[in-house]
Amino acid sequence: MDQKEFEKLLLTVQKPGRYSGGEINSVIKDKEKVDVRFAFCFPDTYEIGMSHLGMKILYSLFNEREDIWCERVFAPWVDFESVMREKSIPLFALESRDSIKDFDFIGFTLQYELCYTNLLNMLDLAGLPLRSADRQSLSPIVVAGGPCCCNPEPVADFVDLFFIGEGEEVDLEVIDLYKEFKKKGGSKRDFLREAAKIEGVYVPSLYDFSYGEDGTITSVTPRDGAPAKIRKRIMRDMDKSYYPEKFVVPFIEIVHDRAVQEIFRGCIRGCRFCQAGFIYRPVREKSADTVNRQAKALCESTGYDEISLSSLSTSDYTQLEPLLNKMLEWTEPEHISLSLPSLRVDNFSKELLDKINHIRKSGLTFAPEAGTQRLRDVINKNVTEGEIFRTCKTAFEGGYTAVKLYFMLGLPTETDEDLKGIAELGQKIVDLYYSLENRPKGKSVSVSISVSTFVPKPFTPFQFEPQIEKEETERRQKVLKYSNTCKKVNLSWHDSSTSFLEGAFARGDRRLCGVLESAFRKGCKFDGWNECFDLDKWSEAFKENGIDPLFFSARKREYDEINAWDHIDCGVTKEFLIREHEKALAAVTTPNCREKCSACGAACYGEGVCFEKR
Amino acid sequence: MRNVRLFYIKTGRMKFLSQLDMNRLMTRVIRKSGLPVWYTEGFNQHIYINYAVPLSLGFEGLYEIMDIRITDDEITPENIAKQLNSAAPDGIEFLRAAKPVKPTVEIAFAEYELIFPDEDNGIYKDLREFLSQESVVCLKKDKKGRMKEFDIIPKIKKTEFLSNKVLLVLSAGNEGNLNPSLLLSAFFENTGREPVFCEVKRLMLFDRELKPFV
Ligand code: SF4
Repeated sequence: MDQKEFEKLLLTVQKPGRYSGGEINSVIKDKEKVDVRFAFCFPDTYEIGMSHLGMKILYSLFNEREDIWCERVFAPWVDFESVMREKSIPLFALESRDSIKDFDFIGFTLQYELCYTNLLNMLDLAGLPLRSADRQSLSPIVVAGGPCCCNPEPVADFVDLFFIGEGEEVDLEVIDLYKEFKKKGGSKRDFLREAAKIEGVYVPSLYDFSYGEDGTITSVTPRDGAPAKIRKRIMRDMDKSYYPEKFVVPFIEIVHDRAVQEIFRGCIRGCRFCQAGFIYRPVREKSADTVNRQAKALCESTGYDEISLSSLSTSDYTQLEPLLNKMLEWTEPEHISLSLPSLRVDNFSKELLDKINHIRKSGLTFAPEAGTQRLRDVINKNVTEGEIFRTCKTAFEGGYTAVKLYFMLGLPTETDEDLKGIAELGQKIVDLYYSLENRPKGKSVSVSISVSTFVPKPFTPFQFEPQIEKEETERRQKVLKYSNTCKKVNLSWHDSSTSFLEGAFARGDRRLCGVLESAFRKGCKFDGWNECFDLDKWSEAFKENGIDPLFFSARKREYDEINAWDHIDCGVTKEFLIREHEKALAAVTTPNCREKCSACGAACYGEGVCFEKR
Repeated sequence: MRNVRLFYIKTGRMKFLSQLDMNRLMTRVIRKSGLPVWYTEGFNQHIYINYAVPLSLGFEGLYEIMDIRITDDEITPENIAKQLNSAAPDGIEFLRAAKPVKPTVEIAFAEYELIFPDEDNGIYKDLREFLSQESVVCLKKDKKGRMKEFDIIPKIKKTEFLSNKVLLVLSAGNEGNLNPSLLLSAFFENTGREPVFCEVKRLMLFDRELKPFV
């Protein structure tokens, strides 16, 4: 399309900077001189996608290769989508503005279930058939990666090939295989068959599912030499793993508008509700030197004046203090602020607090997740009230007056007592504040409590548990609301209707593909956005396909049931998950990986925390 | 430490940047360039940048001005511009750096080029007629956000109609800035025309004597 014409249209929509391209460090190549064009698609808005670290890593990694040109694609917001549809502008890549229909790969990263309709919408906007079976030529190959791919089944009919686990190595192996096939004019079918032999690759069309009368899966059978179990790939040595020296720096403000430096992957904690805590096992750290060097390069190439350390639990980084000392040496004179998200309560020392204070006062947040010690033991969140109070005391005496607490509602075994415990904890923190002699003078305290609805996820010990239904969720929200009587405690919760959808898709199987397509045809998209989510359309879509979402979300699953994701191997074994589930029901905690190994299975990768000296 | 005035252009994709986006971008460009610049002091330290006359989203500018402070006395103006250009994205180009001659409050006029790429010459005739009226009163928000009546005609210093474009010199700066968007919307509204697309480019900033501002 004529560039002038295109830019004219951009001036008619909100935030044209989402679509303009041309950002600092974006990569432009000569398309005649590359062998493989890769459209890296993030199925949400520019502001969200551009904040995502995985995309930045793979974008740079692919573009380091001379023969690959990787470009970025985001879901156009509804205003621009209607312009695109009206003017017949196909979905394009930001760098070249070329239609992605003719690319070699269209790759999606699936970070949350509520983006699935956007995946379909983007394929449709690109002018491609939605279903893998209807796209017969070798290119484009539609691939997907990201945490949702640990249960890829709900989108299995649309995606040709999934990357299971961390993509840095396996993606390139698949691209190389594709190059061979492109050169010799091979077929898509043969390519997929070959690709399925690469460790970490799942080709859903090579697996047949059969179901019993009660609707559960009776067997999953691989064909054409595809493996019975698909083992996730991981980067074994984080110090040798690729990390970008440059990030594309957006013009418009995005969600996390700063340099991001990864410090380790995985989490030692094993909180039983948290999928990330299991699927990224084992913990693998980068050395403080590597982190420091990479962080510095990143700040220099981007001009960012803020850098944040990224991991699932910053304070579990074994070299945090030496790292902070190293980094402060250059961040301070360079006017760079250092942020440390996801610090945990239980090892949040006064010294550490001072160091962050040193740079910039950020908010004080805790995630006890449950209101009573009993329930915290059930979910293995090893945080005690005493520890919370100790940290709050230090923080209040250090000048903080606002505390934010995160909880979940609907956890397994939860009772009304546990809900009341949430409000009580808030009240106790307020009381603590006023009991302190040296609290900030003349200031009042504010405790905000944010409550999300728990959704059981695959590869967690709660994968066997039913998700509570809508009415019960609403009843519990009321219990919570009426148990809070303190004006300084501000309670908020998320609407529960999206969590029902999230629940069905998290543990659903490929019979949901039809539902997804129906919902998309009815106009569902951006389901994670309140202004777009349409419960009625979804209910119709389920009804038309004769599928009850509660079958997937609200049913207790026996240990011997074949789950839709049982043929995916994330390192942790089902036996371990069962053990953990039983311990949860008995409210028995499990020590973290550094205290004691619980033989989860992830040691099979031969690296990381499993081999640290204890 | 010295004050340095930067003259730059903002074209192409850069027209999609609002003033806020521009500020974020320039901060990063300066940091990336490694120039030794002065930061404001106090709680929220940031690079000192003073933009002469902000440019609206959608417009291109060929004579944009911003002032910064350099803490190093050695570096030459040529090298300042060169260093910044090495960090700038396509569409931003630093033309030169120089010692400021006048304070930016003395900017009084700006010259704009307006092109209606999809219209025939008739529209320029209509615009010419519209602008030749004694007075055209429209509503404009004042600094406190209240709507106030505002006559645009006295704010038009010069007009030059060519066959396929028009050049306008309009009041700019602190004393009664006239944004071409306001002029255009008044034109469409008063003549009952459908609003159409117009490319706007700011060509020059002038002082009170209509000399290029330096
Ligand atoms: S094998 Fe042991 S140390 Fe390794 S991740 Fe599992 S529980 Fe942790």
